[in-house]
Amino acid sequence: MIIKRIINYIYGYLRIIVEGYYIERFINICRNKKYTMWNIKKNNDIKISLNIEIKNYKEICRVARSTHCKVKIKAKRGLPFLINKYKKRKIFVLFLLIIAFAIFLSSNFVWNIDIIEENGAEIENIMEDINQAGLTIGEFKGNVNTKEIINKVRLDRDDIAWMGIELKGTNAIVKLVKAEGKPNIVDEDEYCNIVSDKNGVITKINAQNGTANVKVGDTISEGDILINGWMEGKYTGVRYVHAKGEIEARVWYTKNKTIEYNTTEKHNTGNTETNYGIKINNFKINFPKGVSKFKFYDTIETESKMKIFSNFYLPISVIKTTNQEYEEVKKTYSVEEAKSLGIQEIEQELESEIENKNNIVNKNINTYENENSIDIYVTYEVLENIGTNEKIVF
Amino acid sequence: MKKNRMSKLNKILEIPEEVYSDVPKISLVGFDEMIIENYKGILEYEEFFVRISTYHGIISINGYNLNLETMTNDDIRVTGKIESLDIERVTD
Repeated sequence: MIIKRIINYIYGYLRIIVEGYYIERFINICRNKKYTMWNIKKNNDIKISLNIEIKNYKEICRVARSTHCKVKIKAKRGLPFLINKYKKRKIFVLFLLIIAFAIFLSSNFVWNIDIIEENGAEIENIMEDINQAGLTIGEFKGNVNTKEIINKVRLDRDDIAWMGIELKGTNAIVKLVKAEGKPNIVDEDEYCNIVSDKNGVITKINAQNGTANVKVGDTISEGDILINGWMEGKYTGVRYVHAKGEIEARVWYTKNKTIEYNTTEKHNTGNTETNYGIKINNFKINFPKGVSKFKFYDTIETESKMKIFSNFYLPISVIKTTNQEYEEVKKTYSVEEAKSLGIQEIEQELESEIENKNNIVNKNINTYENENSIDIYVTYEVLENIGTNEKIVF
Repeated sequence: MKKNRMSKLNKILEIPEEVYSDVPKISLVGFDEMIIENYKGILEYEEFFVRISTYHGIISINGYNLNLETMTNDDIRVTGKIESLDIERVTD
């Protein structure tokens, strides 16, 4: 039924009013001549309205005349009438076609490149490399060979573990997984020394394989050999081994900070101004509202790409610049306040560096007061397992 | 005789009767829509009263707001509030 309606709409149909005393006769004659009619409705005693096809209109008029009925056209519906209506508005139709064509054309280009890095790792200069490899904004989608680009980028760089390019609409989504720097692993059957990787004082040394080079209480610095990768026997002479052992050392972490008594702090007042601009590819137009009213302000620029559908990006973006006013508030700390503030800040920094907080043995705070500022030194003493393998090179 | 044999064959093939003969088929969908297959013509049409002639008799429908929707060669659809339905059998 719906298909029939659509076909009727395409070919066009008329809603006519037939007026007369022999309406049943009119309907029956039309039916016998196989003219399709639908939605017949009686308006009053002598009037009916019905839908007919255009091509039968003249015949139906003839039938109506023979049954002494009057025919009046109430409405013309369907595609032929619509086209006829828009024939007079050629420019409108022309522009409609042009816009449709433009959308079709512009959907064949890449207008946006999204780079998604796994786990939020940042890879430097990846955009330039991708652009050089052939994926640029404004590139024809047919020319983008994703496999080739991936190969090129991966050849250039060695910090990418995996890369994928997905073309979605006018959007190119580049997914990256950063390769982690792999630790220096020395094979079990190769000869190696154990070397210190931190400065400290040895508290415990236990060489399971190899010869200990340091004693408990020795001060070591980075790069010193802790366990030598050889063993000396009375009869066997020098024999090289894969050094193994546990070394525990006191390691000091020190941080210092200078805190001034008189400081100025930025304080947002909450007043903002926004300006808008349009950026077409690399051409920028700003619509400023004159010079900013604020004395001190931060400028925050956000760029949002125009898109028609969920992934149909256009090469036009709207730039919104927000000026946030701030006040400079002068603050004076007393000596005690400055001290506690500085210690707190340093402690936070240090504790984020130390892996295991339970191993902290000692905390040492030194402060040196100056005329305008206070220097704070905080030292943490931590017991840690140290030592990394280093291959013996002959 | 020939007709009888035809009907036997059709019974075996389970073809609906209204397809091969001119028996009218009246189907009511709810009380608002009525489809009559194998009809001959319209005898009377008012908003409250429709008379449709078939090969086996006359069907008269009482109701209000009656419309004749989608008339084709074989079937007619009457919509509107149908109140009553009368059949006048043609006796040979």
